[in-house]
Amino acid sequence: MGAWGFVALAYGIVWSAIVMYWIFLKRRYRAAEAELSRLRSLEVSSDNVKK
Amino acid sequence: MAQTIQTIKQRKGILGALAAVAVAIGLYWSLAVAPPDAYQGDVQRIMYLHLPSILTAYLSYFLVFVGSAMYLWKRERRDDLLAHAAAELGVLFTALTIIEGSIWGKPTWGVWWTWDARLTLTAILLLIYTGYLMLRSLIDDENRAASAAAILGIIGFLDIPLIHMSVYWWRTLHQPPSILRPDKAPWENVHPAMLTALVISFVGFLLIYFYLLSLRYRVGEMRQEIKTLRLERGV
Repeated sequence: MGAWGFVALAYGIVWSAIVMYWIFLKRRYRAAEAELSRLRSLEVSSDNVKK
Repeated sequence: MAQTIQTIKQRKGILGALAAVAVAIGLYWSLAVAPPDAYQGDVQRIMYLHLPSILTAYLSYFLVFVGSAMYLWKRERRDDLLAHAAAELGVLFTALTIIEGSIWGKPTWGVWWTWDARLTLTAILLLIYTGYLMLRSLIDDENRAASAAAILGIIGFLDIPLIHMSVYWWRTLHQPPSILRPDKAPWENVHPAMLTALVISFVGFLLIYFYLLSLRYRVGEMRQEIKTLRLERGV
């Protein structure tokens, strides 16, 4: 492999890993957000039942 | 610190956009504008990733250290959340540093890996903070997990001065610093175009880091809220 091959390998791995982590984090963010709004809506509906 | 985190959280969209711009400019400078090194040739361009990623990892472990110390002192959950988020990102950037170093080492030293003092201590740093993340998931009691992790987070940080000084204290294959030298200013030792590429790249890494940290911190906060709501509701 030539010099540019090693450079491409390093840049490819680093930026792919960062983008993959970002996507993974976004998924965790959305999942937590959805779960939180579900629990909050449960809270609101049970409060309405009490009333 | 809590106020800084709050500001970063509110402006994470702007931060993400700025990070993308800085990374694009950094890539252009690193791959097209900066000249090849007189001895190493184009392979030296890997340094525009290697140095920013290890400095970002050090910053991350510093935040783990601060968050852990604050948690042990004040017992506030947000400090533990910060330490946990920073540890996860520190592990990512340390792993990337080792991979980049290995890819640079093959054409430069002729080997992918060697048990050099700096390399070995960096691998130990990665193991300590991987252990930190595992420890948190192994202990069920949340407060005990946070306390144990905080102690490990503080002890683990002591490895960083050792890594920095290793090239002075032991005979190592890893060269001494070119930028952070006590006897010379960076611009006296490095070509201005190379230094510019390095600075822009570092700014890009920092912006990406704070963007990812704000996301990861918010995930931790939301999980905490979920746990509290589940307990309250008995869900």
